Amino acid sequence: MLENSIFVILALFLLLGSAGMVIFKQTLFSAISFMLAMLALAGMFALLENSFLFLAQIMVTVGAVVVLSMLVIVSINIQERNLPVENTKFQWIALSTLLVTPLAILIYKSLTHLHVSFEQSEPGYGSLKMMGATLFSEWVLPFEIVSILLLAAMVGAIVIGRKERHHDT
Amino acid sequence: MSTLVFIVLIPFVSAFVLGMVYLFDVKKERYCFYAALGILAPMLSSVLALNVGWQVSALETDAVVHATFFKWITLGSFNIDVAFMADRLSVVMLSFITVIGTLIHIYAAGYMRGEAGFGKFFSYFNLFMGSMLLLVLADNPIIMFVGWELVGLSSYLLIGFYHHDSANIKAANKAFMLNRVGDFGFIIALALLFITLEGSGYSFASIEAHIGLIDHSMLTLIGMLLFVGAMGKSAQIPLYVWLPDAMAGPTPVSALIHAGTMVTAGVYMVARFSFLYNEIPDVGEYIAIIGAFSALFAAVIASYQSDIKKILAYSTMSQLGYMFIAVGLGAYSSGIFHVFTHAFFKALLFMGAGAVIIALHHEQNIFKMGGLKKELKLVYATMLIATLAISGIPPFAGFFSKDAILAAAFASEHYSIWIAATLTAMLTAFYMFRMLFIVFFANAERKNDLLPLTKMMTWPLIVLALGSATAGFLGLNEAYGGSNWFGGFIDLPDQSRHLSHSSEYMLGILNVLMAVIGTALAYRFYVKSAIEPKTDTLWRHAVIHKFYIDELYDLLVVRPLRYLSVLSDKLIDQKGVDGILGVLVSGYKFSGGLFTRLQNGKVRYYALYILAGVALLSLKILDVLGGI
Amino acid sequence: MTPENFFLLATLLFSIGLVGVVSRRNLFVVYMSIELMLSAINLVLATFSRLHNSMDGAVIVLLMIAVIAAEAALFLAMIVHLYRQRRSIDSDVYTALAQKKEHL
Repeated sequence: MLENSIFVILALFLLLGSAGMVIFKQTLFSAISFMLAMLALAGMFALLENSFLFLAQIMVTVGAVVVLSMLVIVSINIQERNLPVENTKFQWIALSTLLVTPLAILIYKSLTHLHVSFEQSEPGYGSLKMMGATLFSEWVLPFEIVSILLLAAMVGAIVIGRKERHHDT
Repeated sequence: MSTLVFIVLIPFVSAFVLGMVYLFDVKKERYCFYAALGILAPMLSSVLALNVGWQVSALETDAVVHATFFKWITLGSFNIDVAFMADRLSVVMLSFITVIGTLIHIYAAGYMRGEAGFGKFFSYFNLFMGSMLLLVLADNPIIMFVGWELVGLSSYLLIGFYHHDSANIKAANKAFMLNRVGDFGFIIALALLFITLEGSGYSFASIEAHIGLIDHSMLTLIGMLLFVGAMGKSAQIPLYVWLPDAMAGPTPVSALIHAGTMVTAGVYMVARFSFLYNEIPDVGEYIAIIGAFSALFAAVIASYQSDIKKILAYSTMSQLGYMFIAVGLGAYSSGIFHVFTHAFFKALLFMGAGAVIIALHHEQNIFKMGGLKKELKLVYATMLIATLAISGIPPFAGFFSKDAILAAAFASEHYSIWIAATLTAMLTAFYMFRMLFIVFFANAERKNDLLPLTKMMTWPLIVLALGSATAGFLGLNEAYGGSNWFGGFIDLPDQSRHLSHSSEYMLGILNVLMAVIGTALAYRFYVKSAIEPKTDTLWRHAVIHKFYIDELYDLLVVRPLRYLSVLSDKLIDQKGVDGILGVLVSGYKFSGGLFTRLQNGKVRYYALYILAGVALLSLKILDVLGGI
Repeated sequence: MTPENFFLLATLLFSIGLVGVVSRRNLFVVYMSIELMLSAINLVLATFSRLHNSMDGAVIVLLMIAVIAAEAALFLAMIVHLYRQRRSIDSDVYTALAQKKEHL
């Protein structure tokens, strides 16, 4: 009972946050709604008895990604008058909603095809210890590759983001 | 391969070789080579032709020598072989075409010396020889038609030989086009002949054998249409207007093509189809009437002309009229006999005229000549013989052949034709002697000295003069003591007409009288002084302008066609076709433009297109999976 | 709290993310919508992990989060770069690959 009501509340926050992110005109408001959605998602992970993911989601997604994007938004400091003019925003949203509907139905159908239900989880499920055991036994190679990916991303971000040099000095 | 094939092939091969050498020749000065090869080909052909003639005359009267070159078209029962046949008629035509042709080639080597395009000239000339021989030796109407067309082509090429002057090109075009108009009728006739005789072969022999299969009205139509072709080729009214303009070509061309050979192809064709024309005497009468009218018409115009070659051109048309009178009335042997004698004296007249023209530095107006009797003795003598021949004064050749024709006209009881022909005889003598007197007797008004003539030009004249003098005796008919060897030799199915000996003598005397009257009139007016006729009276105006026939044709035919062409171009082509294309093009451009708008470079839109595609796909999959 | 509910939630998140990518011109919103779609996938993976009672799905989610972080860095660097070029965060301004209008 308690779980269900928590689930409903978290779901509400999730949906409201994501809807707001799409609808708000001011960039920062969109970013804050996004943060709300991500926090609610972390709660979802917790409901799924996956404590490690709950932690990771908050630390990385909310703590790094969302914060970074907010940092960039603020540092660009675009004025309201320079924001893109989106007069037809709701028309576009309506059209795309219409077009997305079949895909959504298809996805939902395929996901719920099997009609399974939750069973009792084994003790220690979702703990850091179990995560580490799985990660460093079966999933070592992807883990290493992802670390290289992070390195590449870092280098790429620096290269793309640096100021253009003037060639005549 | 048989001799007949060689006779036709040698001039064609020679034409090709001459053409190739001329094309790749840089300086184009090998006159000796071109002349030698150019004369050799007809000479060889004439030797072979005389050989064949000897062979055929040794056989019985209706024997035919056949030779097949190769199979051309085989479509089921429609077989056309390139085949030749030599019967008596072909052999006669062959003999004078090749011999006189060779003489004219020799003459041309002298006449055209130093001209640009010497090699080209002989190439075309040999092409003509080959074509004419093809025409005469053909075994079936299609091959004859091939020769017919090739002869027309050679005529076009040779008339327009001096192509730097656009008037010559126009004359060549005119000749070719009028020829084509005639050929239109000819082709339809051949097609009709084929349709009605389907399945029973298509050579002259087989057509003759099956002539009974065709009903009378169809035969009449075929005969008329064949004659339309002859009208174009042999310059009868109304398709004659090209012949005077064809004098723009070099004089040897006029001598060979427009005097002796090409223009007589029409007469030959009627004679060849004699079995057909014997069935339709009405058409024959019509042919004779046209012939008579053409003869008289041309004679009247010739009496007022000032250009020496044009006088001879109209004279040719007139004599051709005589030939058609003969073959129209069924006297085929007389017609061919006149072709034979006419070739001699007309070629001689043209060659003599050419000699005079060359001697006077290319002067062609007779009123600027005069008194050449003393200075060009040989030319004078030979031309005198030719003029006597053409005027019908015995014992020269023209008298006998013309007499035979007039006798046939009288005996056929078409007296209007006979009267026209007799009047024409008088006019013939008149204008021919007029020309002779003005050129050789009347006062000299020249300023330049005469150019000397080479032997190559003078010797053929002598040979032809001999021929003009004596050839008549070949056809001497019984009334005068001969046995009409020519008629007996050639054995064409003439309509038999009987004329008593006394009538023959009377007619003969009448003809001579007419000729003498004409000569006397010419003598009276033109021996002493030669004054160019001015266009003062209405009659003179009309005749000197050739009765304005050319202008009439221009108004009736040329202008409407030209207007139609311009209309087609401006209206149908530019506005119509281009307009439709323009609409199509702009339609494509428009729809292309529409598609261009899809690629506006904005990522959002591309994402939307992807989404739309995905939505469609999902719908499809949902449909397959069985509903929502 | 049945699996179907989680799946429904994930589907809705994915759809909202897709709508956001297509509809908005603001580059930041586009970016965040992409993140949203990826997060929806994370939810699905976590649910499956719980259903199968093993940590494989969760490991994938962890790696995905790492990738998301890397992508965030790059995406934002790109936005900064573009902003320096044209002083705009409107996706409709960047049309270098468009079909040029023909001059007839």
